[in-house]
Amino acid sequence: MSETDTYYIERCLDGHPDDYRYIVRRYQAVLLAHLAGKLGSKDKAEEAAQESLVRAYFNMNKLKKHGSFYSWLLGIADRVAKEHRRKEQLHRQREVIRSFSAEAASPELSQDYGLEAAIAELPESYRRVVLLRYYGGSSCSQVAEQLDMPLGTVTKTLSRAYAMLRKSLQQPKETEIYEVQT
Amino acid sequence: MNCVECKEILVAYLEGLLAESEKQAVADHLKDCHSCQAELKQLTSLQERLVSNGRTVAQSDLENDVMNRIVREQNVRLKTTAKVSKNLQLRRIIMKSPVTKMAAAAVIIIAVLVGMHFVGNPFAATVTFADVIKPILNARTVILDVIIGDEETSPPMHEIVVGSRIRRILSNIPNVIQVIDIDDAKMLALDTEEKTAAYVDIKGPLQEGTRNYIEFLRQVVVKLQDNYEELGEQEIDGQKAIGFVARGPNEEVKIWADHKTALPIRIELRVGQFFSILKNFQFDVPIEDSLISMDMPEGYTLQETKLDLSGSTEQDFIEGLRIWTRVHDGAFPEALSTENNMKQVPLLAEKIAQLNLSDDETTQMMMKYVRGMLFLQILERQSAFQYAGNGVKLGEADKAIFWYQPEGSQTWRIIYGDLRVEDVSPENLPK
Repeated sequence: MSETDTYYIERCLDGHPDDYRYIVRRYQAVLLAHLAGKLGSKDKAEEAAQESLVRAYFNMNKLKKHGSFYSWLLGIADRVAKEHRRKEQLHRQREVIRSFSAEAASPELSQDYGLEAAIAELPESYRRVVLLRYYGGSSCSQVAEQLDMPLGTVTKTLSRAYAMLRKSLQQPKETEIYEVQT
Repeated sequence: MNCVECKEILVAYLEGLLAESEKQAVADHLKDCHSCQAELKQLTSLQERLVSNGRTVAQSDLENDVMNRIVREQNVRLKTTAKVSKNLQLRRIIMKSPVTKMAAAAVIIIAVLVGMHFVGNPFAATVTFADVIKPILNARTVILDVIIGDEETSPPMHEIVVGSRIRRILSNIPNVIQVIDIDDAKMLALDTEEKTAAYVDIKGPLQEGTRNYIEFLRQVVVKLQDNYEELGEQEIDGQKAIGFVARGPNEEVKIWADHKTALPIRIELRVGQFFSILKNFQFDVPIEDSLISMDMPEGYTLQETKLDLSGSTEQDFIEGLRIWTRVHDGAFPEALSTENNMKQVPLLAEKIAQLNLSDDETTQMMMKYVRGMLFLQILERQSAFQYAGNGVKLGEADKAIFWYQPEGSQTWRIIYGDLRVEDVSPENLPK
């Protein structure tokens, strides 16, 4: 479990596809958090997270720098989320929006929807640090190592991210839901 | 320290990343500054919210779903050339090999025991054979494919099951037919190319109460009637299917059945660390007696065999590992499981043949390896074990390569790179 992404990716490319499960284990929660904020429900996030991971697997040979798997995966997830949202908008846009709001208000469907939506709105460079720290189960120094940045930058980034999250969490709930619809 | 400085490093303070002196300075400042105290409180509560959300999200487990989707997707993609050529290649190696016959015998012996260790009841609770068993499981004959481990890379075994008789062909050694009589603990192996036949006594490896897959399955279905979980509908091998899962303390069984006829399409069975897939079922097809006869067919020559398969011990297992390292420049296998063994035995046989030993020595060495791996097969179902020999070479005395807990034992046995064994208590196991 403690090997680097590069190690597992090379194992997969080397004919040990089953090692991909370690990658899944490492990033599933990160992806779910990332996607839940964008898609508005746990089920949709799970579906999109699965699709992203499968897509990443089959495109692995296109990944040039094996060490940058994480950012690359987030990029794939963004595209999947976008496609899913577009699909939904086409199909029965109205109902979807209504059910979105209902789901957002009900805590058993979304873990902490307000928080996830706020994370989804963070600029990319802040979001990936927050996701890794809290959903990837990494300490600050592990985040620093994984993203190849000084420890001080990690804490400063977190500090800025907290400020943005607090600000966005103070806004009235309607606004958040609105932003997700568009 | 002023408020601006304090707020600057408050996150590092919260994360416990500050040096002792800085930490003290922040603590001192906090004592008197209400504004920074409030800031810290807010930060802490946000952080707690993140941690708790992180924990909730981490409970979702996508691993199996994602891996299954990959396998399915890969199957679709591989319906083209790649798969065919891989099988051909393996087939070619086997057919060309000077030790084909011996390798075949070895695989047979490994394979013959697959699915035969379902001793006792599949679930801990006592379940009497229900009076009513689903009609399909009363089938007198069943034809099916069995895949051990990874569906993508493992060669399927084609089986015909009639009572306690099984006729089995391994798809990577198609010229060898095995007929197994479980009641009599005997196997008849037929080489259709060489027209040779051999009887193998399999009493040693078979245990009291051994039953075949289908027998085992029947018990599971009985159990399913009372206590199952639905997996919903899904497309399985091009058919609309309904899934059920039943879990025991050491086993898990998933059954996918046709949503109209309720006939099983695919069954995934995990017992301990041993995973198999059963599919392509046909029930109650009339089977000619000759197909499952233990008599040698006409035109075949009987071979004398000296296959000693009486109970495999830890010592046999260690000997098996030693043999492996001998033909792999001292390296232990990357992975160790029945699944791997079934794939690798033909290649191992090839390597042993290259040692240029006498025929007898070659056969003995192969048989020793196989007997050693039988020990692993039994462990796979019954005990906890761990293999960590990937990258280790013979003689590295400080590296633990394998450890297991013998049934009923409080302590574990650890095998090291120099193949010595030690008893240790559970808390002293390698990580």
